[in-house]
Amino acid sequence: MTDPDHDLERALADLRPRPPGPALTAALARELDPPVSRRGVVIAWTAGLTTAAAALAFGLFLGAAPEEGAPAYQLVRAEQSPVEIEVLRPVRLEDGSFARPVRARWENTTQWEDPRTRTRFINYRPSEQTTLLPLETY
Amino acid sequence: MPDAHADQDWRAWFADHGARLRLIARQWTRSDADADDVVQEAFVRFWKHQRHLPGDPNALVVTSIRRAALDLLRRTDRRGVREKAVAAETETVAWFEPEADPRLQALAQALPLLPAEQREVVVLKVWGALTFEQIGEQLQLSPNTAASRWRYAMEALRKLITARAHD
Repeated sequence: MTDPDHDLERALADLRPRPPGPALTAALARELDPPVSRRGVVIAWTAGLTTAAAALAFGLFLGAAPEEGAPAYQLVRAEQSPVEIEVLRPVRLEDGSFARPVRARWENTTQWEDPRTRTRFINYRPSEQTTLLPLETY
Repeated sequence: MPDAHADQDWRAWFADHGARLRLIARQWTRSDADADDVVQEAFVRFWKHQRHLPGDPNALVVTSIRRAALDLLRRTDRRGVREKAVAAETETVAWFEPEADPRLQALAQALPLLPAEQREVVVLKVWGALTFEQIGEQLQLSPNTAASRWRYAMEALRKLITARAHD
């Protein structure tokens, strides 16, 4: 392999594939969930990378103090809202070229429920990402 | 048979790897929805029957995805070619998250333009973490052919992003 190939491979590896949809995430959670929930199990099921951190924090919360009668949460819903795209006015970059800023907004909501007490833990994460689309000028 | 991954939290494993598995599935499916179906079927099949096997589960999951995708293609083979072409045009833009770096943007837009036989080698190597030998087994090719397709793909990607930079 030549060095340019290696550089290109590293750049490709930096691209982040879009995560599976919430329907797939929830369906897999149902398949993999044991019939009887285990207390203190770290729940790390997420709708994407953004909710992974929240799920991990929640799992640590569960695992920290497993007391008698403590809630045993199970994932019940993972949703990602449709992405709202906002196309903004073109801007001129330092190199003289033009680009159009595009802002994407969406929300991830993950819910766990303790079936015994019917209490819910809800993680809501609004996200926003702005990128520049280069414009061709003639 | 003893479970080689008895301590593995497979939900957490999928949370870490689901995005790249979906991208792999997308190479052999006609839409994002089909890719989701294939990943679900493949991962559940792996989890039920193969998760106890020793070794890195990655190659087993990729093999399971390939089989599920081919099964789905065979089942839906009578769908029109037009549907496939439309899906390919309208959905390839959503393979990756938006990137601020112009070079990454160019790469994300160039990858779907590669011929399918080169693209699947790139995806299996970069996001499937497979060797050319493993890619050859997946695609029923010799390792040399897989490596050759990789080189052609790298050359084509360089041309595409260079052309884009000069536009």
